[in-house]
Amino acid sequence: MRSLKSIVLALAALGAAVLAPAAEVNLFGWSEYIPQEVLDGFTRETGIKVNFETYASNEELLSKLVAAGGSYDLIQPSEYAAELLIRRGLLAPLDRAKLTNLKNIGAEFRRLPHDPADRFTVPYMTGTVGIVVNTEKVAGPIRGYRDVFQTKFKDRLVVLNDNREIVTWALYSAGLPVNDINPAALAKVRPEIARWVRLVKVFDSDSPKTALLNGDVDIGIVWSGEAALLWNENRKFKYVLPAEGAHRFIDILAIPAGAAHQAGAHALINYILRPEVSKIVSDKFPYTNPNLAARQLLSPAQLANPASYPAAPGRLETFRDIGKAAADIDRLMTDLKSAQ
Amino acid sequence: MSAIGIPSASAARDRRQPGWRAWALLAPMVLWLALFVIIPGLILIVYSFCERDEVGGVIFAFNADNYRRVFEPVYLRIFARSIGYAGLTTAICVVLGYPVACYIARAGEQLRNRLLLLVMVPFWTSFLIRTYAWMTILKQEGLLNGLLQAAGAGFGPLNLLYTPTAVVIGLVYAYLPFMILPVYGSAEKLDNSLIEAAHDLGAGPVRAFSAVIVPLTLPGIAAGTLLVFVPAIGMFAITDLMGGARVPMIGNVIQNQFLQARDWPFGAALGVVFMLMFALTYALLQRRHASPA
Repeated sequence: MRSLKSIVLALAALGAAVLAPAAEVNLFGWSEYIPQEVLDGFTRETGIKVNFETYASNEELLSKLVAAGGSYDLIQPSEYAAELLIRRGLLAPLDRAKLTNLKNIGAEFRRLPHDPADRFTVPYMTGTVGIVVNTEKVAGPIRGYRDVFQTKFKDRLVVLNDNREIVTWALYSAGLPVNDINPAALAKVRPEIARWVRLVKVFDSDSPKTALLNGDVDIGIVWSGEAALLWNENRKFKYVLPAEGAHRFIDILAIPAGAAHQAGAHALINYILRPEVSKIVSDKFPYTNPNLAARQLLSPAQLANPASYPAAPGRLETFRDIGKAAADIDRLMTDLKSAQ
Repeated sequence: MSAIGIPSASAARDRRQPGWRAWALLAPMVLWLALFVIIPGLILIVYSFCERDEVGGVIFAFNADNYRRVFEPVYLRIFARSIGYAGLTTAICVVLGYPVACYIARAGEQLRNRLLLLVMVPFWTSFLIRTYAWMTILKQEGLLNGLLQAAGAGFGPLNLLYTPTAVVIGLVYAYLPFMILPVYGSAEKLDNSLIEAAHDLGAGPVRAFSAVIVPLTLPGIAAGTLLVFVPAIGMFAITDLMGGARVPMIGNVIQNQFLQARDWPFGAALGVVFMLMFALTYALLQRRHASPA
């Protein structure tokens, strides 16, 4: 009898383990952005398992989220993608009471246009898109986009392979608003972009630092995190925020509407917001940390990195969602690139 | 086309209707084709007649706008360029691969097995790693330029990486084995006595080659051409990594529709046209081979 009872109990326990809502969180985040160490630490402490799936662009996130609604508990869109998700009712409002570490986020990074009341999003890391100059090869000042795209720098440039970014730089240098993309504005900047495209040697969003490190190019317009890594590698790589204005991107933590494990997702957000955890992210990916308590834990060298923490940021703007204009931009860029 | 093709009509007539056993044996492949070729293909066709929505989803509103766009000059030019690159790659692969394949086919058994192994060894490493290795070789401060400098070459560092030349090097490197193996397959079956007969009947080496060896290995060349040309047209990783993504290929354009422009229906339309193009290529090759010489 005893053994039968124990078997029944064991089976019941097994059944409970299988049927009960398992302690897990399905995280869908950028590749190369969340250190595995952070996720392991969270699981060790809470017993909640993190299933981690990655994507390489906001557009990939959007389409997979729409297609596989409900299977993700925590996502990491950039600001303009988050704005679209909020407008379409695809994000769940956050329970602030569970996010006790939210106070660590600097005021500068809260109540931004994509989520004016901070109801749906928490900043994860932020950064800018700016100019890297190999000062050993390039003499003379480089202050903005116009200085980069000069004929004498033909075949010495690397830029992000991101159509909206490139169009944004042209809009900045033409003095046009960067979040109001319409056919008239695109027509206006078209000749300038056509000239730029012919000067660029490499278009690369994944690892633009490679071409600079290899010596194949001397100037780049890249993510600030890439520039920070270059600066760590060699001080000859100087980071400049373009005088005309620059894109500040905010990568966000948010919970999709209808997520099955919202409690676990809140716990993970709150864990990442801890200063000592957020510091691990900064150590690995030297973007700008919006977590001011975590910044206090960084070394003077990390804080002195001009790409991570620029001294005089100047004019920075986040992206707004531009809806169907994304296709117009793609068309324009495809046209100009293939016309060479 | 016998190397990869459908049996000719006369051969089919000789055979009985396939019984249940044949179907059972074929089932895994039929299932595979249905799940991963036919159904996705149908989805692609349906999507290609739809519209995109804001998020990048698909709205089912039948129209042919996407196809009209495919035939705009921009995209036609990109198609043409992709075909050009793939054609050049295929031609170089034939020139480089054919003698190698013939040599391997006529080598002694032990040497032949070793050589075949060497042809396949690159596949033991991930394709991306091999591409990055090429970047290390070709870059400005890379292996090739270092060697040139050490050898005291009189000219400055070669500017190879991120040029069309680099793209073609990458493509030829990636697809050469797919030319060598099918050509080897048909060269190995080549009956030596036929070549001897050609010599006996007074053909010189050139004539024996062009009138006997080439026609008999044509199925291998055709199969290799298909295996190299088709994937080379759609390749986007090499053009991005080694070409610096400066000039879009059709593979890049399709990829962009899904990953950047949030325009799945247009991407689907490009994909469908792409598939039709392959079907056409295949049909042409098939017909040329079927028509008696």
